[in-house]
This record gives sequence, structure tokens and C-alpha cells, in this order.
Amino acid sequence: MTKVNVKLKINGDPYELAVRPNRTLVEVLRDDLHLTGTKIGCKTGDCGACTILLDGKSVCSCMTLAIEAQGKEITTIEGVGLSYDKLHPIQEAFVNEGAVQCGYCTPGMIMSAKNLLDKNPKPTELEIRKALSGNLCRCTGYARIVKAIEVASEKMYNTQK
Amino acid sequence: MNDTKTNNNSLIGQSIPRIDSPSKVTGKAQYAGDIILPGTLYGKLLLSTVAHAKIKNIDISAALALPGVKDVIVGKDTPCIKFGNWRLFPNTQDELPLAVDKVRFIGDEIAAVAAITPEIAEAAIALIKVEYELLPAVFNIDDSLAPGAPLIHDENKELTSNISLDRKIDVGDIEQAFKDADYIREDSFLVHPHSHAYMEPCATIAETDAEGRVTIYTSTQTPYIVQCLLASTLGIPENHVRVVKPAIGGGFGGKMELRTWEFCAAFMSRRTGRPVRFVLTRQEELEIGRRRHGMKIKSKVGFKKDGTIVAKDFEAYLDGGAYNSMGPTATFLCGNFGAMLYRYPVYRYRGYHVYTNLPPSGAMRGFGAPQAMFISETQMNMAAIDLGIDAIDLRIKNAMVTGDKIEGVTTISSAGFVESLEKIASATQWKEKKKNLPPNKGIGIGCYSFISGGVFNWFNTQYHFSACEVRAYDDGTAHLFTMSCDIGQGSDTVLRQILAADLGILPNMIRLTAGDTAMTPKGDLGTWGSRVTLMNGNAILDASKKIKNELAKIVSVKFNLNVIHDVAFADGRVFAKANPKYGMTFGEAVTMWVKMNRGEELTARGVYTPRDKGLTTPAYSFGAQVAEVDVDPETGVVTVEKISTAHDCGTVINPLSVEGQLEGAIQMGLGYTLCEQFAIKDGKTLNTTFLDYKVPAAEDMPQIVSYKIDTYEKEGPFGAKEVGEGLVIPTAPAIADAVFQATGYRCKDLPITPEKILKSQGKI
Amino acid sequence: MAIPNFNYLAPTTLKEALTMRVSHGAKSSIMAGGTDLLIKMAHRNHHPEYVIGLNCVADINYIRYNAAGNLAIGPMAKLSTIMDHPDIVSHFPALSHSSGVTATVQIRNMSTLIGNIVNASPSADNATPLLVLDASLVIMHEGGEREVPLHEFFLGFGNSVMKPTELIKEMILPMPGKNSGSSYQKISTRSKVDIAGVCVSAFLTLNDAGVITTARIALGSVAPKPIRVPQAEQVLEGQKPSIELFRKAAALSREEAKPISDMRASADYRKAMVEVLTIRALEASLLIATNKTH
Repeated sequence: MTKVNVKLKINGDPYELAVRPNRTLVEVLRDDLHLTGTKIGCKTGDCGACTILLDGKSVCSCMTLAIEAQGKEITTIEGVGLSYDKLHPIQEAFVNEGAVQCGYCTPGMIMSAKNLLDKNPKPTELEIRKALSGNLCRCTGYARIVKAIEVASEKMYNTQK
Repeated sequence: MNDTKTNNNSLIGQSIPRIDSPSKVTGKAQYAGDIILPGTLYGKLLLSTVAHAKIKNIDISAALALPGVKDVIVGKDTPCIKFGNWRLFPNTQDELPLAVDKVRFIGDEIAAVAAITPEIAEAAIALIKVEYELLPAVFNIDDSLAPGAPLIHDENKELTSNISLDRKIDVGDIEQAFKDADYIREDSFLVHPHSHAYMEPCATIAETDAEGRVTIYTSTQTPYIVQCLLASTLGIPENHVRVVKPAIGGGFGGKMELRTWEFCAAFMSRRTGRPVRFVLTRQEELEIGRRRHGMKIKSKVGFKKDGTIVAKDFEAYLDGGAYNSMGPTATFLCGNFGAMLYRYPVYRYRGYHVYTNLPPSGAMRGFGAPQAMFISETQMNMAAIDLGIDAIDLRIKNAMVTGDKIEGVTTISSAGFVESLEKIASATQWKEKKKNLPPNKGIGIGCYSFISGGVFNWFNTQYHFSACEVRAYDDGTAHLFTMSCDIGQGSDTVLRQILAADLGILPNMIRLTAGDTAMTPKGDLGTWGSRVTLMNGNAILDASKKIKNELAKIVSVKFNLNVIHDVAFADGRVFAKANPKYGMTFGEAVTMWVKMNRGEELTARGVYTPRDKGLTTPAYSFGAQVAEVDVDPETGVVTVEKISTAHDCGTVINPLSVEGQLEGAIQMGLGYTLCEQFAIKDGKTLNTTFLDYKVPAAEDMPQIVSYKIDTYEKEGPFGAKEVGEGLVIPTAPAIADAVFQATGYRCKDLPITPEKILKSQGKI
Repeated sequence: MAIPNFNYLAPTTLKEALTMRVSHGAKSSIMAGGTDLLIKMAHRNHHPEYVIGLNCVADINYIRYNAAGNLAIGPMAKLSTIMDHPDIVSHFPALSHSSGVTATVQIRNMSTLIGNIVNASPSADNATPLLVLDASLVIMHEGGEREVPLHEFFLGFGNSVMKPTELIKEMILPMPGKNSGSSYQKISTRSKVDIAGVCVSAFLTLNDAGVITTARIALGSVAPKPIRVPQAEQVLEGQKPSIELFRKAAALSREEAKPISDMRASADYRKAMVEVLTIRALEASLLIATNKTH
């Protein structure tokens, strides 16, 4: 049960480190690589604070072994926006629409929103709400998060046209 | 943020996006659990597995021997100083950082470990052996008060039962008043405990400098309270403790006390000389986190035939769990809230805070009000039917209005309650809808009122209730220091908005430092009781006024203004109001002031203490909410379709934030009413994951609409009052009333479950 | 609690995985999506010394027709793929529905259909649809393969006929005949995103005369394992569908349900809901079978 060398590709960057097989991806991201944008809210896959994209699909990084994330494209919140002035349209909409309160669920919410909009650029309100089934928020009542995703969809859709 | 033109008070009422949002959407915001310092040790707590027992022996030898373990502590290693937020009454301080002789609930903290990795800390905890001598335990109010029940705090010789504290209110002659009543409504209710379920589990990291001073980064909404209590439990001067509040992932009242892990981190960092960190798991949070008080309430209200209330007799037993925590305040407030909303000419309250062998209840959003008002609102709805008066009309008849007084307790300095009721009635077409309800549909109402910060001084602070410091700089910027904590409610944005509006500069010209006891003004009690906007807002206006006074002198001298001239602050300028060309930029004015004062820095302290504002609060919010539901007649499943709210929070400083508070409160209120419930068996919490402690998801939320009632609160900054907590109150009674309309099931025992509905209908 | 450590084995073929399984037996666990296994390990309900990850096995996330014209589903086919797969949507509506309401988006992106079944949880969303769809599992063992009908697979809570030295190769869904319909009905009393307090699936095939030739009903969360209700099925077969008939079948379902009370629902409530959901599942299946939906 010794450590195993793993190679992870995170936000396009190569990382190589030795981990024990029981280490989850969120632990490696936060503790080993100091990518603390991905949050831990439950560690049982119920709250979605740790949501990241694995090969473009949203998953709970608390339920993913780091060792199994090898060879896959890992996208975390740090890989979504470039800087404070170059936010992704989803991030920008979250700011402007008041979708952020305490902010602890926010990175996971944004990853789930991206998972949705990448597949379904013009979702209905119900589709958005269903797409957030795995992300709990205790502050906002979700209303402004849903609105932000609608606004982002609008903006991204028009931009793409 | 690219602010456009700013014109003085036009900033008030603007939906300025949160100043902390960009850091949160990029994942850059740092929460306590994100901080790791060089050499950090990882802490873990050993929790009691039994509900009530004497500790006979604790063997830590195997844990200490485990390689990588740097420290193991038990209660006896600590100074054994009790703590609690009610410093004014030392006897109410009943908690030790780690249990010494006894454990009182499953989860009571017994020992702590600090190790070089979290895994080693966890392994070490498993090696600690505790010998218990089991004691009989009680898990509900009735058993706790039964003759012969075990005394949970037998060390407190002043207590003869498990009632740790009581509170009485007597206004008028209650016996006579009920004799005069034409109709008396008397009911018993049970309301259940409720988890804050903030998304960020509590986290803390403490380090100690070479002289033994502690710095602790911790998820708290009350840094000053943590500073004081941590210093006293460590036995060191307050000034040797620095509490820093990083980003906070929600609090809702659940992060406003000193908690064991904060003590242990600090204590072990002093012993080891290394930073010590604790991060709670969600399981621990749901097992030992504070919660809203479950209560057993009896309420009797007398009416005249025409609906006029003549008296109310209100009796509440609060299930406090094993320690007082914030329970005494809840006991006090529950009685106050029982007397709110309507004019009760005669009122009696008896409140009892009862110890049980359950996890302690504490402060939670609404703090005594959701329980008290679930009862008063439900009884109003029941009385309306019996009296044959529309539920809204009955409320309007009895509603509190501006200027009303509760003798010796409080004055209602502004109330938009009647207006809220009228607005919600028309906006929802209340009467028409109620008359023409389709099968299985219901519409119901609930109302609320809440305080804008407390007047009560249980923490026994010598300092002002709220304080800030403003520093103005020659580059046209300012720096605001405040102990108020943004825990997600948006106070950093709103406070900056208030200062910017008053100084006439752009919000992004203001640097804000909040919640660092080594830097931010002493004494401010932090974030609770919906106090920040009113109390800290007033403190900020106080400081701003002092700064403006100084700068007005500069402009006055420079332009030789006649003394009758008023000096205005807008668009980043300071100028003669009647003749704006006599003026200069804010920065130029500060520069001249500094020169004039031979290099001094232009700073001002602002304070606010609610003096002569009664016993409760300087200002109350009011509102009315209507819920529309659909109930599946076969399964009993309730779908809340729409929630409409008319509310009075005085002047709205930031509409985006106000709406966010409302929507969030509805989620919490909906959960409280329909799906959130602790499953506890023999004192053990069974649902310790979000899979089983069910908070509403995005799909569970109704359509939400809101109407703002215009009032101006003279006690508040720019006329503002509270909006953070009160809105969580009306949802339970409104939904319960709607469910009654749809099904005939009248809930007196929260939460409402499909099963209770079907049972009441005889369907199962 | 942290997940205890283990040896991670990464076979690249199912055959290799089987060899590992045979040599480590009860000390090993198969990990597909991992969402159930890791929770069990974190809660110390399961302590494998070896975790055999199927992550590196190529081409086992398939959903395809086999030579017999039945649908074969590989061990790494994820719920998020199942729910939207056109063949499953059109021929196995109960399954496309159940997979679409299992847990959350993220969990569906991780979890596999076979994993959801192999855990033998009585409340597994996909168990009752697969029972009524007459699914079977192809189990690999040292000596070869065997095919086990799903209704013989479950033994009890968390317990199945699969041995620690075995491995699931794939799941087979027989193609329903024409005039067939299936439906999954679930009650979550607390939230739209919740474990089923009770769930019921039904499957009906009608002949051209409109007589029910095949009926299957399965119940979840009402017994230690997901169960079929042959008594109710027999009442339906050979009859023309009617609401009275469905009520009769539903009453029999209710009788066969032996639920317990727990924090999600009481036994009384569950029993009553079995009846309600059985009728709903039969009605929905009938609509599909008679082509009155789509």
C-alpha cells in the first residue's frame, strides 16, 4: 500500500506526484497542489461543492480517486476564469446577477453550470434546476444562480453566433 | 468592478454586485479550511459515544505513542475554565473546552490530537480508550422534567431541576383579560430542531508566536466574542489573542460562539509551537453542530367577537440540549417575539430553557422567532376561521403600527405591517383565490417581524456595541475597518456602499478590512441578530461625519466660505453645496488637511450603542408572506408552487442583496417546514449526511415574487433596518396554512410530512 | 472519515480483472464508478485490501445490441449515458427514467448501471425497472461464464449470488415485444433529489386483442431486497387492462410489501404508497404499450 506515482493533467498543466491509492482527487487538489478553489462540503457526494470536470463531465472530486483521474482532462474552477478581469461568462453572470453570497458552493455551481451549458447551450429554467440537482446552496435559494446561468447562456449563445 | 458615475446618496438603493464575488467565482477567496501554514499539524477531536456518563478514565498512551502524533490533550490538561456567551451571568457559562468529569451528549468533546497528517490524527483518536460509568439519560423535555430525572448539570448547585434558566413577562391582568374574551384559542405545538447546514463546515487554524501570543484564523461571525472567550479559557490576556476572520461559508447563527476546536487549535499550538488546524467533517457538523431549538409550546389567545385580541398567554419549553450555548437568549427572545406583530394589550410569557442529553441548541437565523411566530401565525389562521373573519382582515385589525409600544420593553419606531398585508392581499388576489380553490390546491399566509440588532448585553462588553474606523487618504481613497463579518449576507458590500454614499466617493475607492481583532475596532460584537446594517451602518455614518467635518473646514478656509454655507460630498469632490465650483477633490481636501495637521493621518472612530432604545432592539422589520401549494391527494407530497412576500425593511440599500436574503430565507424556511428533520434515536443523530439531512435543492424551490413596502426607519442608516433573518419566519406558517386549505390537515407538529397529511385524512 | 488505504489494481482487460478477482477473492472489491464503494469504505462498512479498478479496461462502457438482438450493457456504462441513450429511451422507458432520477448529475456522470445493481441495495433506483424488464447479468468466473436472471440475483440487503471470485461481464436486456410498455414510479417524500422512499416498476405486453400477455411488477424499498410480485402479475395476465384490474394487482402488491419504518418513511406509509405507485406504474405502462404516449 505504498504510494503510487500519478500524472494528472489539471487545467492543461501537467502535474506529477506520488499519492497513496486511497487519496481522493479533491484531497490531492487542495492539500498537495494547493488548488483550494475546489471546496469540500460533505465528502459523501451529496453537496457538489467539490464538483470538477473530468473529460468535460461534472463529477464529485471527493468521490474520485486521484489515481483514477490519470489520463483525463481535469478542469477545476481555477481553470475556468483567467483572472479577475477576464472572467468566463458564467463567472461574470454569477457576479452581476448576485448569484454569490457566502460563495462556498460557488465553484461547484459554476462547474455544474459549465457541464450543462457545454452540452445544452440554451437550457430551460427547469433544465437548469435539474442540472443543479447535485449542488446545494444554503444562502441564495438558487433563484439568482438560475438567473445567472440563463444570462450566461444568452451571452455565450449570442457570442457564438 | 467598473463603477459608473456616483452621485452621493444615489448609491443607496443600487444593486451593486458583491465586492467579494470576483474572488469567490474564481475560487480565490480563502476560507479557514483553505489555509495551511508551514509546519501545520492536523487536529482531530474524540467525541463521546454515550449520551450521559461519568468519565472514569481516559487512556491516551497508545495515541501518544503513535509516530507522527505531536500532542494529545484531555480536559484535565487544560485550565478547565468554563465558557459561554452569557458572561453577564457566570452561572450560565456551563461548558468546558473538553469534558472533564462527565459527558452529557453523544458528541461531547473529550480529547484532541494534533499530528503531522490528518490520517495519523484520525488513527490516534481511534487509539484513545475512554472508560465510562453510564448515567441515565433524557432525550426530550418531558423526560428531562419528570420527577427523578437525572440532573445533567449536577455540578451547578443552584439548579434543582434541568431547567437551566427561565424568563417571565407579565403585562396586565391575564386572568381578567381572558374573562373578557368572547373566543379563546388554545393550542399546543411541537417545533423541531433545524440545522444551519451552512455549506462550509467549521474550520480553524491557530499559530502561536515566540511570546505565546495566538493568532487564529477561524470560521466565525463574531471574532471579538471568540477573542474574549478564547483568551479566558486559555488563561491569557485578551490582547494576546488575535482572531482573524477569513471568507466565511455561511453562518446563520451557527458560528457565533467559541467552539472546542478553536480552543484546542490555540491550546495545542501553544504547546507544540506549531500551527494546528481543525476542519470539521459534515458528519461531525450534523452530529455536534448547533441547531435551532426544538420547543414545546402552549399558547392561549383571547379575542373579542369582532376579532380584537384581548390577551395572550404563551408558555415555551426550549430543548436546550446538554449546554446553555445561546439558549438563554433564545428563551428571552422567544417571549419577546411571542408579543410581536399584533397588539396584545395583556400578555404573559413563561419560558423555560431545559437541559437534555442531546447536542446543544444555539442561535439560528430568527432566533426564537420562527418557533414563536409559527405558533402565533397558525393560531391567527385558526382563529380567523372560527371567528368568520378573513385571515388578512383579522391581522390588519390587530397589526402593530408605527409608534406602538410594549410598555417597558420596546417602541415600534416604524412599521409597514398593515401596508404589507394590504399589498400581499391584492398582489396574490388572496380573497378571490381562497374562495375558488381547485381541489388539492391551497393558499395560506404567515407574517413576521424581526429585530435590527439586539439591545441586550449578555456578553457584558465594556465597549460600544458597534464600532468602526475610517481613514481617509490623500489619493482620494479611504480605508474602512470594521468588526462586522460578511458571512455571505453581503455586509462588506453594503457597509462600503453606506460609507461611499456618505463620503461621496466611489465604493471601489474604499479598502475594507473586516474581522481582525488586532486591527479592527475593539468591542463590536460581530454579525448576529440582523444588527450589522443598522448598528455598524450607524457607526460608519458617525465616523464619516467626523471625517466630513474635518474636510469641510478645509474647503471652508480655502474658499473663504461664509459660515452659512453647507459643504457637500459627491462625485469624489468636497464643495460648497450652493456653489460647487468652490471645492476640490476628496484627495486634495485630505492632502490639505494632512498638511495643515503637520503630517497627522486623517482618521475617525465611529461608534453606535443603542441607548434608551428599550430592552430589545432599536427597529423592527415586518412582512407578510403567502404560499400557494399543491398536495398530491394519494401520496401526500406537498409541492410549493409560489411564494409571494411583501416586506418592510426600511430603506433598501442594495436591492440585489435584499432579494438574495429573501430567496435564501425561503429555501431555509421551506426546508424547516417540509423536509429538514434530525432523526435522533436514543440521543444519537442518525442522519449525518446531506443524503439524509435533506435541504431543498434547486428543483424544490417555488416561484418567488416580492413586494417592497416603503418605510423610513429613523433609527437606521439612510432609513434602513433588518432584512437578514426575519424573512425565514413566515414560510412555515404560510405553507402550513396552505396545506390546511388543500387537505384539512392543520400542522401543530413540524415538519409537515406526506405521512402526517395522509394519516390526518385517514388514508393510511 | 478518510478512506482506509488499499492496493489499487488496474487491469486492462476483463480477463485480467477476473484473474485478480480469483486470486484475491473476498479481500478484493471491484470498482467501476466508485460512488457506492468509496462511501462504504469511508464509513468502514467495507475493507477491501485490493481494489480492482475497471477504469483502465478499454471498451466496456458499451450499450449495443448483441447477436440475439438483445441490448447488452457493459460494466462501465454510466447512468448519464443510459438515461439519454436512444434505444433505452424508446424500448426501455422505465430504465431511462430511473437512471435519469438516480442521485444527482455528478453521481450519474460517475456511477455505472451495473454498479447500482451489484450493490444489491433495496432502494437502488434502477433495480425495479431492470427486474420488470427481465434483465439478466452475465457473471464471469474462473471456469467460464454464467447468466443469472436479475430476479435470482438479489439475496438480501447488500447481498447477491455473486461470489467474491466473480466479476460481472455485462447486463442483458431482452428486447420487449411489440405493444409493450414499462414505467418507473418513485416517491421521495422530502425532495425531488432524494433516495426513493418507495419505488415501483411495471411492465406490460398486450396482444393484438388488447389482452395482457406479460405483466411484471417490482417493488423497491419495501423489503430487504428489490422484489417481484408474482401474485399481482398473475392477476393481470390473460386479462384486458382496466382500472379495477390494476387496483386488484395494486392491492396484492401492497400485501406482498414488507417494509420497515426508517427515517425516510414509515412502514404504513410505504405500504400505502406501494398501492398508489403500482396503479400509476401500470397505467403509465399501458399508455406506452398502447402507444398513447410519445
